[in-house]
Amino acid sequence: MPVIPCLSCDTEEPPPPIPQDRKVLIEEFTGVRCVNCPAGSAEIESLLFNYGEQLIAISIHAGFYANPYPESQYDFSTPEGDNLENFLGIPIGYPTSVINRKLFSTESDLQLEGTISWAGHIAQEVLIEPKINIEIENEWDSNTRKLTINIAGETVEPIDEKVRLTIFIIESGIKDTQLTPSGKDNDYVHKHVLRKAITAYNGDEVASSLDVWDLIDEEYSYTIPSGWDADNCVVVAFFHNGSTNKEILQAAEKHVTP
Amino acid sequence: MKIVYWGLLFLIICQFSYAQNDASRLSGSLEANGNFFMEDSLRKAYGTPQYDHQLYGAEAWLQLNYSNWGFDVGLRFDLYNNSNLPNPQGSDSGVGIGRWYIKKSIHKLGISAGYLYDQIGSGIIFRAYEARSLFIDNALYGLRLTYDLTDDWRLKVFTGQQKRVIFSENPIFDTYPSIINGGSIDGFFTGDEDSKWSMAPGFGVINRTLDDETMNGLVSNIAATYHVNDSIGLKYNVYAFSLYNTLTFGKFSWYVEGAYKTAEQYFDPDALKTRKDMPSETTSGKLVFNDGSVLYTSLSYANKGFGVTVEAKRTERFKLKTDPNAPLNNGAIGFIPPMSRVNTYRLTARYQPATQELGEWAFQGDFTYAPNRKLRFNVNVSHIRGLNNPTYDYTLLRDTALFYNEIYTEVTYKIKRKWQFIGGVQFQQYNQDLYEVKPGAPIVETVTPYIDVLYKFDRKKSLRIEAQFMDTQQDYGSWLFGLAAFAIAPHWTFTVSDMYNINPNPGKIEIPEDKNGKKLKLHYPRFDIFYAFKGNRFSLSYVKQVDGIICTGGICRYEPAFSGIKLTVNSTF
Repeated sequence: MPVIPCLSCDTEEPPPPIPQDRKVLIEEFTGVRCVNCPAGSAEIESLLFNYGEQLIAISIHAGFYANPYPESQYDFSTPEGDNLENFLGIPIGYPTSVINRKLFSTESDLQLEGTISWAGHIAQEVLIEPKINIEIENEWDSNTRKLTINIAGETVEPIDEKVRLTIFIIESGIKDTQLTPSGKDNDYVHKHVLRKAITAYNGDEVASSLDVWDLIDEEYSYTIPSGWDADNCVVVAFFHNGSTNKEILQAAEKHVTP
Repeated sequence: MKIVYWGLLFLIICQFSYAQNDASRLSGSLEANGNFFMEDSLRKAYGTPQYDHQLYGAEAWLQLNYSNWGFDVGLRFDLYNNSNLPNPQGSDSGVGIGRWYIKKSIHKLGISAGYLYDQIGSGIIFRAYEARSLFIDNALYGLRLTYDLTDDWRLKVFTGQQKRVIFSENPIFDTYPSIINGGSIDGFFTGDEDSKWSMAPGFGVINRTLDDETMNGLVSNIAATYHVNDSIGLKYNVYAFSLYNTLTFGKFSWYVEGAYKTAEQYFDPDALKTRKDMPSETTSGKLVFNDGSVLYTSLSYANKGFGVTVEAKRTERFKLKTDPNAPLNNGAIGFIPPMSRVNTYRLTARYQPATQELGEWAFQGDFTYAPNRKLRFNVNVSHIRGLNNPTYDYTLLRDTALFYNEIYTEVTYKIKRKWQFIGGVQFQQYNQDLYEVKPGAPIVETVTPYIDVLYKFDRKKSLRIEAQFMDTQQDYGSWLFGLAAFAIAPHWTFTVSDMYNINPNPGKIEIPEDKNGKKLKLHYPRFDIFYAFKGNRFSLSYVKQVDGIICTGGICRYEPAFSGIKLTVNSTF
């Protein structure tokens, strides 16, 4: 039998994974004593209405304005929230937010005080394909209130940086006092409130660098406190740079309960 | 390293030319502040990185100026170490060349390049200046040309970008991306040699052009979050014009200025915005598109111990910024003159009205009568209120409300060269809801009598005693302030003072309580030692300071409580 040379039998690298739609994370710093913050939160709701699943919001109660009132039922401030404010930069004023933890070329800081610039930066970020895909799987036991979180990551491009993973639990639909321009509103509905960082507040290092097709597989567990409404709780997870900057590579969110 | 190269080059040039040319001149100044933080949770001095773990913060500005061969060059080294000056709640560090400039005059042409401070008229449409205590430094980084058309008429043009500080980068000094350019023509003329009148007219124009990225961000913002009812047009360019004149006639002086800004987009924090996700609801704050104007006039008369100045100002929608996103006082291109007295005593200066760019009517009158060298009377009256413009469709507050009232009286009496007595009463009404964004806060009404006595033991030693009492039911409640300053000329001054919350407002949540729920009457003491020798002045202070608002020329910002030790050095050479 003659040997027929196979002209196209050279080993080819498989194409990289298909990148997910980019999901942008907006971390709003807020507080119940901040009179202008309801306007900031309303701006975020408008942005969520506009961008849908491509935008994930977290409201971090931190700093002086987060001190609860005597009539408040809850204290939304957390040690991780205060640590995050120091980590991302203490803003000059509220409302303020950090978008994908990116220092944009027209800005002087990660913190974007005021709401005018948020939409423009989000519009830029949603167009950038992520370098890594991320998936969240939650296992919820309603009897023990134990939540098991599985994070899967798959790189689309090489990442020549340390990569960190941060996981938060946020809760929406919490009715409590908030200062507004019309005075205190005791029935204000707080949304996307940062309740807990499952990882370190500045993330757990999961890789020192990554090639294409590299996989990340992490599992965490946490018992949801009885005072939280698990049906209103969401797991937010994101990979981010851990070396030269703090930029978020890709984010995802998933409800705690099915 | 670039800083080292710049500095060495500058010094080498100075040293070489100094040795070669007696006409050269080197001068400069140093201002340095060192703060040592001591936590005091009772007085709300806590919760910032400096109190938590840094314990120390500093700022310094070293300015060097050199003149030779018809050139003026200057360099300024700026330093921030764990500083809470840029952000009172934060901590920022960075060093760099905060300013450099080169100036040269060639016949009638003046050339300046680098970081430039300047203004047009009173500054309404353009003022590049620095106010270090407020962390304001909006120098224009660019080029300025002046041309003396005649001995009395000067033409000026300039172009550049406004300076800003970015602590997250190295170097920390940058510029806003928008371009600012403009110019003015200023003149002076009078009658013949015996004429009693003169005029100094002027006209200025400013243009700001937004960059593409900022404009794209505004477009995205409106597209993503604005209901169709709130949608506005956007413009890259805004123009502002100012016409001004000073007329001097005998003992009268009359300044008038009118400024107009073309329609552009700016952020109005009070404008109601329909929520795009819930059109039945609104929030406060949105971009609006309007033109604006300022009218300002000041009339003065002075004659043999009698002086009177009356001022009026009307401001409407005159927010002029290099970047509509820039928060608070950042990015301001112009400066609207304040319309209240600059008070210097601790309690009389506690409540100061910040200039309201979006709308206010303001009036001020100052009357001085000195029948002889020993006695002087002064009365100052300020009144600031909303515009009462029925075309506004939002908020009563800015529309018709009282903003600020003040009556300030002062009597100065000197006895020989030994005694000086200054005393009077201040009456204030201060809209804390407006000026400090505290919705529902009542008008703060204060009555503050004060006295200031200076006694000179001899040519070298003197003692000054101050006492003030602020009577008010609002905000923190009533205060008592006392100060004693002992000076040994020409070098030493020792002061001790205390600000005492003698009758705290039971409704003020921020005032701590004892175990019985009674508000604590806190003291805020201060001890200072000053030493001055030739061009140097040193001070060392132990300070407990209540939080408040500090203002310079109508521009204000929040100043947090302070507890600790301050060391300052000021030097001119």
